[in-house]
Order: sequence, then structure tokens, then C-alpha cells
Amino acid sequence: MTLSLGIFYAFAALIVGGALVVVLARDVFRSAIALAGVLVLVAGLFGLLNADFLAAAQLLVYVGGVLVLMLFVIMLLLSPQNQLRHQTNKQAISAALMSGVTATFLIVQFYAFLRSDAPAMEGQPSTAALGRLLMGEFLVPFEVVSLVLLAALVGAVYLSREERP
Amino acid sequence: MFELAIPLRAFFDSLRTQLVGLGFTPLEAWASSKLIQTSVTVACVLSVPLILVYGERKISAFMQARIGPMETGPWGILQTLADGLKLFFKEDVIPNGADRLMHTLSVIIAVAPVFVCFAPIPFGKDLAVVPLDTGILFVFAASGLSTIGIVCAGWASANKFSILGGIRAAAQMVSYEIPRVLSVVPVIMLASTLNLSTIADAQAGGILHWFIAVPIIGQLAFIIFLISSVAETNRLPFDLPEAESELVSGFHTEFSGMKFALFFLAEYAYVFLSAALATTLFLGGGHGWSAGGWIPSWFWFLFKSCGIVLLFFWFRWTYPRLRVDRLMSFCWEFLLPLSLINIVLTAVWIVFKGMP
Repeated sequence: MTLSLGIFYAFAALIVGGALVVVLARDVFRSAIALAGVLVLVAGLFGLLNADFLAAAQLLVYVGGVLVLMLFVIMLLLSPQNQLRHQTNKQAISAALMSGVTATFLIVQFYAFLRSDAPAMEGQPSTAALGRLLMGEFLVPFEVVSLVLLAALVGAVYLSREERP
Repeated sequence: MFELAIPLRAFFDSLRTQLVGLGFTPLEAWASSKLIQTSVTVACVLSVPLILVYGERKISAFMQARIGPMETGPWGILQTLADGLKLFFKEDVIPNGADRLMHTLSVIIAVAPVFVCFAPIPFGKDLAVVPLDTGILFVFAASGLSTIGIVCAGWASANKFSILGGIRAAAQMVSYEIPRVLSVVPVIMLASTLNLSTIADAQAGGILHWFIAVPIIGQLAFIIFLISSVAETNRLPFDLPEAESELVSGFHTEFSGMKFALFFLAEYAYVFLSAALATTLFLGGGHGWSAGGWIPSWFWFLFKSCGIVLLFFWFRWTYPRLRVDRLMSFCWEFLLPLSLINIVLTAVWIVFKGMP
């Protein structure tokens, strides 16, 4: 138990450090790479919690898919010569307001979570159980979510289509 | 007979009991035995590219009458060594205006994931380092990380050809990842597991039980997997990220010496990984073409993997390069619908056969 606790704290420290790099780096590309590192480490946390399917899906979808597309967009839109453009602006008040609200919400939720009993840690792999839940009990919500994604895709195609004269 | 799993298991069992006898806890003993297994795997992954590079140079020499690999030492066997020495003594050049940190980091990001990918591969009967329950998904997830390294290399070079190579790599590798994963879904449905060791064992009992022998579905899935694997490893006819005639050499134009060598190490390790996956998923893993027999399973596995690697080399030295738009439309308009149809066919087949 102490070993996994040590790994957890190491991962948590690295995630916080990586997230700071994402926000504070002056080069967008470096931010994106740091985000990749953070997402990989979050997948590591999932693995530590025995959510092996979730860990692999996190890597496959977020790092292998979404993040590569983000890098693709950065490479298409920016050139390495203007790396030093500012990523920050001077709207300190609204930023403080937003992050303050989010932080309060997170802290309240965290204390509510601390008061509840932690679910028992199971050693079993979760893939088969997850599949049964998604295709059985939660079939309708699952399909509704895929419908929402489909609508988003159709919307994206509509917005980016070429105007025909 | 000659199975490696039995003596290895005996060795690690005795090692663990001895370590516990010396005063270590069982967890520490287990961790140290895993550490040894991991180190052996990493050493093997490091040595595979050496052999594959020699094989590739030799095969290209036979196919295209190239002279070097025939003359350097007996049977040209010193060619890889000569290449390695040359690359080792080259200066590490980082161009002016390049992002120095990213230039170095990109190589690490591109190479590091490949070692992790070999962890759940069963190199024979009971010969997987970590028989992961999410095996196949984990391999795809980890190998997807290398894309970031290649994209990063293109960006960090501060060179328009490199950036073009990086953009092409991002587009191509994200696109071909989809049919590659979808082509494996029929196998997962037939074996009803993601665990690579279980998938390999589901094909025991001769060539007719291999998943490639399932009528239409098996062959279709295998061909889609093979094509998208070639595209995923950026090799001809899909080597657009490094197309020499258009982009100098694409994303690794500005890399020299050992950094350049490490990119090639990653490429050849991924070629072997694809071959090992194809063997495990479609060609029965370590199981021979008839039930029983005296040939050990690790030999079968290596034999079939080397056959697939030979196919990869054969493609490279015979086919011309595709055009960029053809490459993308081939993926999205041909391979993707075909793999979706294949999944539906598999569902029909499973219902028809009355499998669980």
C-alpha cells in the first residue's frame, strides 16, 4: 500500500508541475507537449486505481488522437518564428473570479468526497464489467451520448464545408 | 519440448524463494524478478533493429543490385556495424533558431513508447512479460504516443520541409490508426477478450483455427491490418512524412548522429511490433500449423513474425510512393468503410455460428 501511495504522490506532483508548464509556457507547442505529459500521467493514475481500460482509452483517445490533432492545428496556423508571442493577457480580475469560483467548487466537492466512504479497491480488471454495463444497463445513455457526438460532427462538417456558388 | 516458459518459470520461482530466504519481502522479490524480465525485453527490443537493418539492406541489395551490403565483411554482415559506427561518431547538430529542448525531447518521445509496447506480447506459450488484460488496446495506446515525437521533431527543426513532414505524419498516423484498430475488432469479437495471450491461445490446434482462416472476415481484417500497419510505421509506399523526392527527408532532415539512429531504431522496432501483433492476432501466435509437434512455440512465433517483416521489406522495395491526397482518400473512403463492413460481417458470422 505504501508503494502505491508513493507512486500516487509522485504522479500527482508531476501532474501539477506539468499543468503549470501548460499554463505558463510561452510557446504554444511546448504547452501542448506538456499537456500530453499530463494526460499520460492521468492515465497512470487511472492504472493505479485498477481502471486499466480507462487508462488505455485515455491514452488512445486523448493523447493519440485529440492531442495530435491539436499539434496539427498549431503547426498549420503558427510558424516557429513567432514562438515568442504572448499567450497571456491583462484580464486579471475576470481570471481571478473564474479560477476562484472553480477552486471553491472543487474544494467543496473534495470535502464532500472525504466525508463519504471510499469504495473498496478491487484487484480485478474492469474491462468486461465495463462492457456489460455500457451494452446493458447504460445502453440508452451511451447511445444518447454517441448521438450528441454525431450531431457535433455533422455541425462541424456543415460549418467547414465549401460555399457552393 | 524445448519450451522456454517452463525453465524460465522454474528459474524465477527459485530466484524469488532465494530472495525471500535472504530476508526480502515477497513484494520486493516479485518486483526484482519483474525488473529482470523487463531488462531482458528492453535489451531484445534494442537488438531487433540491428538484425532488421541488416536484413533490409541485404534484401534491398538482392532486389535492386545494391553493392555495399554484399561487400562489407563476409555476406555483408559488417554493414550494420559500419552504419552504427559512422552514426555514433557524427556530430550532433542542432540548427540555429530551432527549439533546442524540443529537438532533443522529440527523439525521446518517439523512441520511449516502443519498449512499453512489447510488454504484453506473448512471444510463445506463457511467454508474455505482463499478460495485461487490456493487452491489445494498451499496445495501440502506447504506440500512438510516438506520433507526438515525430510531430514534435518536425516542429522543433525550424525548417519548412521538416514542418511539412510533421504535418503529414500527424494527418497520416491519426487517420491510419482508425482502420488499424477497427481491423482488430473482429478478432476481439471472435476471441471475446482483449488479452493478447488469450487471443493467441484461442487459435490453438492447427492452421484452420487461426483467425486468418475465418472465411472472408479473417483475410479482410488481416489485409487491412497489414496495410494500415505499413502506413503507421511510415514505410514505403506510405512514407510521405519523409518523402525524399519532395521533402529532403521530412521530419528527420535536421537530425544527425545518434538522434537520427534512434528514429530508425523506433521505426524498425515498430515494424517488428506490427509483425508480432499480426502473428498474435491472425497467425496463431506461438501455435504451429498442426496440433502438437515438437517445434517450440517461441520458434513458431519468431518464424511467423520474420515472415511478416519480410513482407514489409518486400513492399518497401517494390512499390512506388502514393500521392498525399490519394493516401488520405484511400484510408477514409476505402479502408475505413471496409473495416466497418467487416465488423458487421463478423457479428453475422458469430450469430450464425451460435458463438457466445
